[in-house]
Amino acid sequence: MFVLLRQLRRVRRDADLPPARTRGSLALRHVDAGSCNGCEHELQAVANPYYDLQQYGLDIVASPRHADVLLVTGAITTRMVGPLRAAYEAMPEPRRVAALGDCALGCGVLGAAAELAGPLEKILPVAARIPGCPPSPDRIAEELIALMRASPWEGPARSARRRSR
Amino acid sequence: MIHRPVAADGWRAAVGEALAEGWRFAGLHATREDATPALLTVLTRGSDALVLRCRAPERRVASLVDLVPAAAWDEREAHDLHGWSLPGHDPLRPLVDHDVPADAWTAPLVGRDAYRVAVGPIHAGVIESGHFRFAVVGERVLHIDVRLFHKHRGLEAAAEGHRHTEAIRYAQRACAADAVTNAVAYAQACEAATGLVAVPAVARARTLLLELERLYNHVNDISAICAGVGFAAGTMLFTALKERAQRLNAALTGHRFLFDAVQVGGSRLELDAQAVGAARAELDALRAEVARGRRELAFAGSLQERMVGIGRVSAGEVVMLGGVGPSARAAGVAIDARTASPQLAYDGFAPAAPTVPTGDVAARFELRGIELGATFELLDRLLDAPLAPAACVGGAAGDGLGVAVVESPRGQSLCVVELDGDRVGRLHLRTGSYANWPLVALAGRDALLPDFPLVNKSFELCYACVDR
Repeated sequence: MFVLLRQLRRVRRDADLPPARTRGSLALRHVDAGSCNGCEHELQAVANPYYDLQQYGLDIVASPRHADVLLVTGAITTRMVGPLRAAYEAMPEPRRVAALGDCALGCGVLGAAAELAGPLEKILPVAARIPGCPPSPDRIAEELIALMRASPWEGPARSARRRSR
Repeated sequence: MIHRPVAADGWRAAVGEALAEGWRFAGLHATREDATPALLTVLTRGSDALVLRCRAPERRVASLVDLVPAAAWDEREAHDLHGWSLPGHDPLRPLVDHDVPADAWTAPLVGRDAYRVAVGPIHAGVIESGHFRFAVVGERVLHIDVRLFHKHRGLEAAAEGHRHTEAIRYAQRACAADAVTNAVAYAQACEAATGLVAVPAVARARTLLLELERLYNHVNDISAICAGVGFAAGTMLFTALKERAQRLNAALTGHRFLFDAVQVGGSRLELDAQAVGAARAELDALRAEVARGRRELAFAGSLQERMVGIGRVSAGEVVMLGGVGPSARAAGVAIDARTASPQLAYDGFAPAAPTVPTGDVAARFELRGIELGATFELLDRLLDAPLAPAACVGGAAGDGLGVAVVESPRGQSLCVVELDGDRVGRLHLRTGSYANWPLVALAGRDALLPDFPLVNKSFELCYACVDR
C-alpha cells in the first residue's frame, strides 16, 4: 500500500499540475447516447492524476437530480432519445447541456440514418460544445472549466424566484 | 478459406459434421436485405476458416442453437434485424428489437420473495448505455437478463456501398477500445477477399498496434477491477499508467486510441530509429511501474479477498457459450487467436494461463497481469528496428468473400466482408465482447447484487461494438 501511494505521489509530482484557481463547482451527469466508447474513456481519464478534474470543483455525480450539467456523448441513437430526455427532465434548474465529442456535435457521424436522431442540438438546447474524436482529457477539462466560469449561470427557475420576492 | 454452399434441409447436418471434424463456431450472420437470403456460419480450425452458406428464399431455416449454444445471440439478431425465422430456437427472445414488452425478453420469475431490479440504460458512473434486469432474492442474484443495443447505430448497414478501402472506418469506429483489432480484422478480410497477403513489414506494424492496444486496455482493466472493490490507490495508479500508455500511442501514431493507424492493403506507419528508441525506453519504464504496482496489489488483502470465488464460470460453460479472450483463458480454456495468425508477427506465441484456472474475478485479474508481461516482451521485440511503410502483395486470387479473426484485449474479433467489385456488399463484425456477454450474465448468477459491477468489470466488455 505504501509503495502504491509513493508511486502515486511521484505521478503527481511528474504531472506538475498548476494550482486550481477556480471558484465554485459544477456537478456533471454523463449520458452515453451512442458513442464508440472513446469519449467515455477520455471523460474517465480527466479524473486521473494527470488532469484531476476534481481539484477544479468539477465532479461526476450519479444522478441527474444532483447535476448542473448534462454531458452527452454519441450520435444520439433513436433508442437513447427517451432515456436522454428523461435524464434532462430530472435535472433541477438552472441546468446546461454539453455536447461531448464530434458525434454528439453531428460531425462525421457514422451510422444508418434510420437508427440515428442526432445531432444533440436537435433534441436539447446545447450550451457547450467540446469537439474531438474523442476530445482529449485536457480539452475536456478546459471546456468544462470555461463553462463553469461562464456567467451568468442563471436559469429560469432562479430568476422566477427572484421576481416573486 | 473454404466456402461451401449448403441446402436448407442439410444445414444442421453440415454444421454438426463440421463441429465433429474439430471446427469451432466463430459466428453466424444473415445476408443484407436486398441480396439472395442466406445465413452464413463461420467456423475456424487453427488459422483455417470454413464458411457454410445456407440459401433459404423464405428466410426460414432450422435453428442451430441446440448444436451450438454460442449461436444464440447471432440467431436472435438474424431474426430481429433481417427477419429470419428459426424453428427450434424456443423461446426466440428479442435481442435487438426494443419495441416489445418486458416479458418478451426476460425469463419468467415466480416464487416467494423473488423480485426484479432494473438497472440502466443510464448508469451511475461514466459507463456505456445498456439495460439489465436482475432477478433477485434478498441480495442474491438468481438470473440476469441483459438488454443491449441501445447504442445500435446501424454501422454494418451504413458501410454497405462504400469503397472497401474507405469503409474501414466503420469497423474501426465500432469501438474505440478495440479500434485496432477491428480495423486489422477488417483489413485482413478485405485482403483475403481481393487476394492480397501481408508482407512481414505490414504484419509487424499491425502486431505492434495490436499490442499497444492490449497494453492500455489491460492496464485499464486492472484499474477497473480495483474500482469495482473501491480500492482507490490501485485504481488511481493504474489509470495513471493507462494515461502514459495512451500518451505513448499518441507519440507513435498521433492518436491516443490509435485511430486511423491501420489501412487496407498495406501499412503507412513510419517510425524512425529515434522514435522506436524513445518508445522502448518509455515501455521499459512502464513495465517496471506496472510490475511494482502489480506486486503491491498482490499483497493488498482488501483487494485480493474480494475477488476470490466471485463471478465464477467453469471451463465447460465457457466452451458451451463460446467464450473467448482473457475470460476464457482464466477459466482454463486456452484459446487465443494470436496462436493462429500467420498474417501477424506472433510466431511461437503461446496463450497465457493463470496459476489456477478458477474462472473467477481473481483469475481474470491475475491473467491480465500475466498477459501484460507477454505484451511488453512482444512490444520490445517489435520495436527493435525502425518501421517503414509497406504494401501487401498478391497471393491466391480472392473470390470477393473474406474472413479474418484477430485477438482483441477482450477476445477474438471476427470480421466477414463480402465485396461487390470494390464496394462493400456486406460487413459483419462479431467482436470478443459480443461472444462474451452471455458469459457475464452467467457469471453474475449467484453473486450478490452489489458484486455485479465487480463481476462486470472483470470482463470489462464493450457495449459499442456489440450494438454496432
